[in-house]
Amino acid sequence: MAGTLTGGEPAAASGPRPVPAAVRTALYAAGVVARRLLLLAVLLAAVFAAVELLPGDAATATSERGETAADLAARRRLLGLDRPVAERFWDWMTGLPTGDLGTSARGEPVAGLLAHPFPNTLLLGGLALLVTLVVSVALGCWAAARPGGGIDRTVSASATGILALPEFVVAVALVLVFALWTDWLPAVTLTDADGSPASWRMLVLPVLALAVPQIGWNTRIVRAALADEAKAPHIETAVLDGLPRHRILTHHLLPGALPTVAAGIATSTGMLLGGAVVVETIFNYPGIGSVLAGAVTDRDSPVIAGVVAVTGAVITGVLLLADLVRAWASGGRT
Amino acid sequence: MNLNRRQVLWAGGTTGAAMLLAACGGGGESSAKSPAKGNEKPRPGGTLRVGALGRASAITRDPHGTQANESDYLIISLVHDTLTVPGTKPNTLPRLAARWQASDDLKTWRFTLAKGAKFHDGTPVTAADVVWSLKRLRATPSGASRLPGIKAENIKAEGDDTVVLVSDYANAELPLLTRLTTFVLKKDTKDADLGKAPGTGPFKLDWFRSGNARLVRNEDWYGGEVHLDAIEVKIFESPQAMANALLAGQIDVASNVGAVAARTAEARDDIQIVRRPNDMAMPMVMRTADGPFADAKVREALRLAVDREAMVKQVLSGYGTVANDILGTGDPAYAKDIPQRARDLVKAKQLLKDAGFDTSKTYRLLTTEDIAGLAESATLFASQVREAGVKVEVVKQESATFWDKTWLKGDLYTTYWGTNDSVVFFASKTMVSDSGQNEAGWKDTAFDATYRKAMGTKDAAARTTVLQELQRIEFDRSGYLLWGMADGIDLAGAAVRDLPTLPGYGRVQLEQAWLAR
Repeated sequence: MAGTLTGGEPAAASGPRPVPAAVRTALYAAGVVARRLLLLAVLLAAVFAAVELLPGDAATATSERGETAADLAARRRLLGLDRPVAERFWDWMTGLPTGDLGTSARGEPVAGLLAHPFPNTLLLGGLALLVTLVVSVALGCWAAARPGGGIDRTVSASATGILALPEFVVAVALVLVFALWTDWLPAVTLTDADGSPASWRMLVLPVLALAVPQIGWNTRIVRAALADEAKAPHIETAVLDGLPRHRILTHHLLPGALPTVAAGIATSTGMLLGGAVVVETIFNYPGIGSVLAGAVTDRDSPVIAGVVAVTGAVITGVLLLADLVRAWASGGRT
Repeated sequence: MNLNRRQVLWAGGTTGAAMLLAACGGGGESSAKSPAKGNEKPRPGGTLRVGALGRASAITRDPHGTQANESDYLIISLVHDTLTVPGTKPNTLPRLAARWQASDDLKTWRFTLAKGAKFHDGTPVTAADVVWSLKRLRATPSGASRLPGIKAENIKAEGDDTVVLVSDYANAELPLLTRLTTFVLKKDTKDADLGKAPGTGPFKLDWFRSGNARLVRNEDWYGGEVHLDAIEVKIFESPQAMANALLAGQIDVASNVGAVAARTAEARDDIQIVRRPNDMAMPMVMRTADGPFADAKVREALRLAVDREAMVKQVLSGYGTVANDILGTGDPAYAKDIPQRARDLVKAKQLLKDAGFDTSKTYRLLTTEDIAGLAESATLFASQVREAGVKVEVVKQESATFWDKTWLKGDLYTTYWGTNDSVVFFASKTMVSDSGQNEAGWKDTAFDATYRKAMGTKDAAARTTVLQELQRIEFDRSGYLLWGMADGIDLAGAAVRDLPTLPGYGRVQLEQAWLAR
C-alpha cells in the first residue's frame, strides 16, 4: 500500500534499489563494531592465557617472602586462582557488560583502580593526538607548498629524524631542558584531591614527549599524501586555471589527502597509548601506564584485562571514526 | 605496549613485590635525626610534601594487607599506630604499648597500652581493640610469619589496658616483632571501611586518591607534640621521576630514592642527602647443604676473594659500609669484635686447593634486577673471584622466575633484605636448621643450640654474650657472603629538619619532622 501511494518507491527490502546512505553507514558501522568487539574478546582471552603462561602467579607475587606453602594455597583460594583459567576468564567476561572489571590481587576493585588513571590517560593521549594532528598537517602543508624547496627538505629531514627518537629520549631531554635547567615547567605531574593533574602546566611536557615522535611520522604521511594528490589531473587543471595556491590546498589537495591522513592519525592512537606507558613513568603522570606495568609484575589478570578492555575500546572507537572519515571523504570517488 | 623499555626504567631501585614487611626496619649506631643545623627549636606549622615509591596497580588500604607500596605503608603508619616502633638503642621503642613485661619462661608477654591513647574520632583505645586487630592480622595469609609462634587464641585482653600474648616457645625478642605490622584499628571495623577507619596515629587522613593522600596533624596525639600542620604523600612509580620532582622543588622529601639520585644531588647545595646506614643487605647465598659450595673451605675462599671496598664503592656509589658476613649489622648486639674479613687471594686459592674445588668449571650466579645494584653486585663479584681462579657466569632472571625457581634452592645466588632488624631475626628466619627461609640450606647443630640458648636467656647482658658466640659461628661457616650494607637514602629540601635516619621502615617516622621556613 505504502509503495504505491508514495509514487512508486519500492519498500527497501523488496526492491533492488540500495538502502539509504545513512542506514548503509549504520549497518557498516555496526558490522565493524561487532567484528572489533569479537577481536577484543579474543584479545582478552589471550591476556588471561598469557598471564597463565608467565612463571609465578598473583598469589606468589602478592605474598610476603617466607609464606609457607599452606599460606600460599590459602591466598590462591582467596584470589580464586585454584579454579581453571577458562572459568576465571568467563566470570570476568560476564561481569564486563555490567561494568564490573573484577578485583585486583590486592583486593581492590579494578574499576576503582582505573577510575582516575584512565580519564587522565585519555586526556594525555587526546591532547597529544590533537597536537600531532594540527602540527603535522601544518608542517606537511608547509613543506608541500614548494616541493623540493628548502623548507620541504628541512621539514622532511627533521621529520625523519624525530620519528626515529623513542619517547623516553624525548621525555628525558624535555625534563632536563625545561624543568631542571630553565625551571620553566614542572618536572613531574602531581595530582590534587580529585585525582587529576594539579595544574595544566604539568601536562605540557608529557604531551610534547608523546606527540613529538608521532608528529615526525604523521608529517611524512601528510607530505606524501599531498604529493600524491598533487599529481592528480584535477589539481593540474586547478593550477592551470590560476586558482590561488591556498585555495588549491584547502579545497582540492587536503580533501583528497584526507583518507590517508586519517588512517595515519588513527594508527598513531595505538602508538600514543603504548608510548604513554613510558612517558607516564618518566613524568609520574597518574595514568593507566603505571597500573598496567605493575599489574604485569603482579600477574594480576583482572587488572591487565581491565586496562586492555578500556584501551581496546578507545582504539576501536578511533579506528572506526577514521574508517568513517575515509568512507565519507572517498565516498564520491570510489 | 612497550614493556621492555619500561622495565629498564623501573630497574632504578624499588622494592620487589615480595618484600617482607615483617622484616623491615631496625636499629642503627648513628643518631636518630638528620643533620639539623645547630640547636634549632622546632617550628610549628607548614605542609611537608613527601614522595614515596609505589605502583598504582598495587595500592592497598588494608593496614594488615601485603603492602608492596612504600607510599601506602607511609600513609598507614602515619594514621595508625603499632604497639612498638623501631629505635636505635634499644631497637624497640614504645608506641601504643607504653611498656611490656615477660614471664620468666619468656613465653607470656604483657603489653600495657599508653595512657590517653584515642582514636581520631575521640574514642579511647581499649585492649579489646588491640586484641581484635592482632587477631585480624593473625588471620591474614601472612599472619603466621608476622606474629610467629602466637596462635590467635593466645591473644587476650586483661582488663582495659593490657594485652597478653602467649608464644608457643620462649621468645626474648617478641616486642621487636610487634613493630611495623601491628596496626591497631577499632574493634569490628568492616573491610569496606578500612580506607576511612580512624587510627590513633600522629596524623589524621584528610583525603586519599589513587595512592596520593593528605594527612593533617592530630592535635590530640598521646605520643607527644607534632609540629607539621600537614603531610602530603605523593606516589611515584620511578625513583628517577621522584628525584626530578625534588630537584625541581615540587616535593620536599624524596623517600628512599637511592644512591643514583644522591649522586645527582651532590652538586646541589640546596638539597640535603639523608643517609640511613645499615638499610639493605644484599648478600650472596652459597648453598651449604649440597653442591659445589657445600665445603666450608670453598665458602671461606669466596669470602676472601671478594673485594668489599670496591663493591661498596662501585655497586653502592660509596653509599654504604663494608660488612663482615654477619647479618643484622644494625643490632646493638652486633659483634663488632670479630675482626673484619679482608681480601686475601693467596689464602683463597690455597683453601680452594685444599677443598679440591674444580676450578675448570664455570659456576652460575643467579640474580635479578629487583633492586638497584643487585645485578651489578653479581657482575663485579664474578670478575673479582676470577682473580682467585673461580669462573662465575652471571645469569639474570626475571623476578617471578627467580623467587619461584631459584630462591631457597640455587647453589649460588644473590638475595636482599630490606631490613636489618637484629642478629636474632636473621638467625631465626634464615639460618636455624628448620627455619622457613633457610636460603642456603644450612644445618649446623652448634648454631642451633646456641640460638636456642640465646632465646631462653632472659638477662639482656647474658643474652648478648651468647649472641656473640652465635655470630662467631655465622662468621666462620654460614652460607652467606655479606660484602656490605647499603645506606637508605632520602633527599630533602633545605628547610626540612629532623627526618628519621633509621634503616628500613624506620624512615616512615615523620612525626618529629618540621620545616625551618
